[in-house]
Amino acid sequence: MLGEFEYLILTAAAGLGDKAYGAAIREEIETATGRKCSLGALYTTIDRLEGKGLLESWMGEATPQRGGRSKRMVRVTGEGANAAKEFYDSVMRISRGVAWVADRSGGTR
Amino acid sequence: MTGAAWRCIEAAACLLEEREREAVLGDLAEVQGSGWRGLIDVLGLAIRRQAEPWKSWRPWVAGFGLAWPGSFFLMGVSLSVSHGVRGLVDTALHPGMPITSQSVSLLLIHLLLLIAWAWTGGFVLGRISRRTLWASILLCSLPCTYCMAEFPEGVLQSFCLLLFLLPAFWGVRLGMRGERVRRGFALALAAVPTFSALLTWRSGSSLFYALALVWPGWYVAASGHKRKDRQA
Repeated sequence: MLGEFEYLILTAAAGLGDKAYGAAIREEIETATGRKCSLGALYTTIDRLEGKGLLESWMGEATPQRGGRSKRMVRVTGEGANAAKEFYDSVMRISRGVAWVADRSGGTR
Repeated sequence: MTGAAWRCIEAAACLLEEREREAVLGDLAEVQGSGWRGLIDVLGLAIRRQAEPWKSWRPWVAGFGLAWPGSFFLMGVSLSVSHGVRGLVDTALHPGMPITSQSVSLLLIHLLLLIAWAWTGGFVLGRISRRTLWASILLCSLPCTYCMAEFPEGVLQSFCLLLFLLPAFWGVRLGMRGERVRRGFALALAAVPTFSALLTWRSGSSLFYALALVWPGWYVAASGHKRKDRQA
């Protein structure tokens, strides 16, 4: 099963689609969680996910705002999408009926 | 981000591999965050990358099971070879002194032991700890530096302790390139140090120490048929 941070990366990459690369994924995660995301954690986790076959990465285009440097592009594989869905389903199942979920959906306890 | 901060980040990024350096510096240039955070990011990633191989047994075995104890052993054999050569030179310069077959054979055995063991040791280091080779070199150089500093003044120079470095570096070079060693040659490389040790030290702790350190030869022999082994 995935870890929390692995799930965040897979989900951010899937949401970004063709525009998924290091800086963009980092921004997505920081915006969604409100927490700082270090590049060290990001790139080592991307490597781990790639090693498990859940992600693919390759060097993409270079842009002027990056000082002419290439991006490390990322794409979620079918296996990665399945693993993320499994994680999400597990979180949803285990969260059913707990106080903070009930509160959010209108206090139906 | 100031120019000085960016230069610090670029310098720190030299610790990363080329492709990763390009991606990380590009990300930081694009985001235009604070220089301090950028530096922490790059250093954090570099530390994680350096720490990664240490999760495996390979760098530990290479450093503490081979480089560290092997350097003491090979310095001893280097010294023995140097003494042997010195003795032969003395004998040649003074024709009255007899050359005994025992001294010549012992010199040859030690020379074979030195070359075969240093080469296989270096080969295994290069093969199993490519990314942590710096640590193995450090662990090997510490005893060497100490012994050279403490080496007594006499007929031999302290650099005689380091005769093993040449075959060892040759082995490291080939090991890092993932060169294939033919099984027959690998078996010979394993057998030479083993039998040399048995012939030289017939009993006692020296024999035990020497035999404990012949494993690289047998490791090379066991993996001789493989083209490339996993690298740490």
